[in-house]
Amino acid sequence: MFFRKYGDIVTGIFYAALGAVTIYLAQQLPKSRVMKIGPDFMPMVIGILILFLAVMLLISALKNFKANAAKAEAMPADTSDYKRVLASLVLVVIYVNILAPVGFILSTLGYLFLQIVVLAPNDRRSAKNILIYALIDIIFVFVVFFLFRYGFKIVLPAGIFSL
Amino acid sequence: MGALAQLGAATLRVCEPTSLFLMIAGVAIGIIFGSIPGLSASMAVALMLPLTFSMGSSLGMNVLVAVYIGGISGGLISAILLNMPGTASSIATTFDGYPMAQKGEAMKALGVGIVFSFLGSIFSFIILTFFAPMLADIALQFAAPDNFGICFFALTMVAVLSSGNMVKGLLAGMLGLLFALVGLAPIDGTARFTFGIPEMRGGFNTLTTLIGIFAVADILVSAETIGQGIKAVPVKKVWGFGFSLAEFFKWIPGAIRAALIGTGIGILPGIGGSTSGMLSYVTAKNMSKHPETFGQGEPEGIVATECANNATIGGALIPLLVLGIPGDGVTAMMLGGFLIHGLSAGPLLFVKNADVVYGIFAACMVCALIMLIVEWTCIKAFVQVLKVPKHVLLPLILVLCAVGAYATNNRIFDVQSIVVFGVIGYLYHKFKLPTTPFVLCFLIGRMTEEYLRRGLMRFKTFGAFFSRPIFTGFFAIAVCVILWAMYKEFKAARAEKKAAA
Repeated sequence: MFFRKYGDIVTGIFYAALGAVTIYLAQQLPKSRVMKIGPDFMPMVIGILILFLAVMLLISALKNFKANAAKAEAMPADTSDYKRVLASLVLVVIYVNILAPVGFILSTLGYLFLQIVVLAPNDRRSAKNILIYALIDIIFVFVVFFLFRYGFKIVLPAGIFSL
Repeated sequence: MGALAQLGAATLRVCEPTSLFLMIAGVAIGIIFGSIPGLSASMAVALMLPLTFSMGSSLGMNVLVAVYIGGISGGLISAILLNMPGTASSIATTFDGYPMAQKGEAMKALGVGIVFSFLGSIFSFIILTFFAPMLADIALQFAAPDNFGICFFALTMVAVLSSGNMVKGLLAGMLGLLFALVGLAPIDGTARFTFGIPEMRGGFNTLTTLIGIFAVADILVSAETIGQGIKAVPVKKVWGFGFSLAEFFKWIPGAIRAALIGTGIGILPGIGGSTSGMLSYVTAKNMSKHPETFGQGEPEGIVATECANNATIGGALIPLLVLGIPGDGVTAMMLGGFLIHGLSAGPLLFVKNADVVYGIFAACMVCALIMLIVEWTCIKAFVQVLKVPKHVLLPLILVLCAVGAYATNNRIFDVQSIVVFGVIGYLYHKFKLPTTPFVLCFLIGRMTEEYLRRGLMRFKTFGAFFSRPIFTGFFAIAVCVILWAMYKEFKAARAEKKAAA
């Protein structure tokens, strides 16, 4: 509901702020001593364009706010499952950060299994399903590891355990 | 000896059993790398390079060509089945390929993509074989300002792509431009938007951006609804390639246009397949009598993209062979292959090593045919992917993507940045911002700035750019495109108001 009703306004405010920050940061960049157009030119142009477009979006969003809000109220409620979204995001963030220190094999074994379980619908989480997920996890990780390590000769992060 | 006779002799050499076997293997490896998001055609060529050390120069080059062709065309498989472009070239294939697959027409979509990939490749190889030296002269005419004109023109396509809600589309693209700025500035190497993080100086990698926006975001988006049960995607069985002869002839004019765009963009060094596919798609959409069907599962959209991105291969080989200038990452790798085999790409190659050159031409054609046969026989195997439940499939793909992101540069930073782009992709989905402008702007942004500043270095003022007819032409078209898109947007808004009143 929030996204439908206030989506454009939030987008507009975010981009307006982004444009302002970009312009500010562009001013901090050194000017070219040789040419008129230096490294600060493109950031400045983009910043100004963002700010301009964001203001346009805000104006139109505010002008049509009432009509859009009524439309949003009439639509069926948002049934998005944010628990699964958040859990997946946390898993991915942890995974990419432990990949190097812990190593490909161990971190992927853990991540892949948990991610499949998180995404699995409730009726697919029986003991038998979980066992199958664990099997898929182990087979996939070792196939990928050996394929990359010995087939493609790409060395994956070794970490604390490797073959 | 005439070109045809040389080509004929070369084709016979290429079709020897050893060479044929190695080329089939090369195409297959290319298809695997192309179809897995996170592994790219240039990675496949880089991996195959050392394997060609021990082969003769002709055989070695044939294998590299095979991998290249397989790699570019393989991208369409994951684009259609998973909504994730396997390579940057096939981004626009997802627009219509994925909706078709969801409607149960996965096999038809694959059939269309494969056949027109083949036709696009063959078209560009014919041009390559007979007109290469002539076209290379034209490529030399293009200076930095002209390339800037083309990039600028491509950027205006964002406006066209996002018709219906142009302001949001443009804003979506602007963030892509901003991300393209991160790193060292072109020409002078000033560090921009790096916030003191050393890894940021290298900028964001194209591949990791694509992976984040498509693969990571897809996990998050799917997580929203996956708990409500699994919807099985139906797959309609088809005969042959899945389309009728009448349909085929209806698509031919569009295919020729796409092939011309693809070959043309390919000839210009430094623009590349991802741009040509997108440009061709937008052109097809605008020239169509029913533009509203595009994006809903219109086979013509697949024809336009796949024909163009494969035609780019032949185009890109022209400056590579004739001038020794690589057009993109993959052809740069191929140039390395030439050096390893003691060949120097350039005008003399045609004089000193004519047998190798015609060998490459013949290999191109034969490989395109192999690609057609291999992919067609495997269509049934490919669609099995749709039977794997999403909650298992998506995590597997993400792991492959993470590995691919790591393998590109051996930087863990690249793996970490896929999360950033994944979150951006998810937020874009939530706030109903289109992701295509973001990707397009990110791909072209850096090039645009570089060519602008290189041009200014030589021509001093922007006004002097207009003394170049090629730049002026593209710039004028770009301005017309913007004005036209704005006019259409304005008209649509007024019609909507009238309807509401």
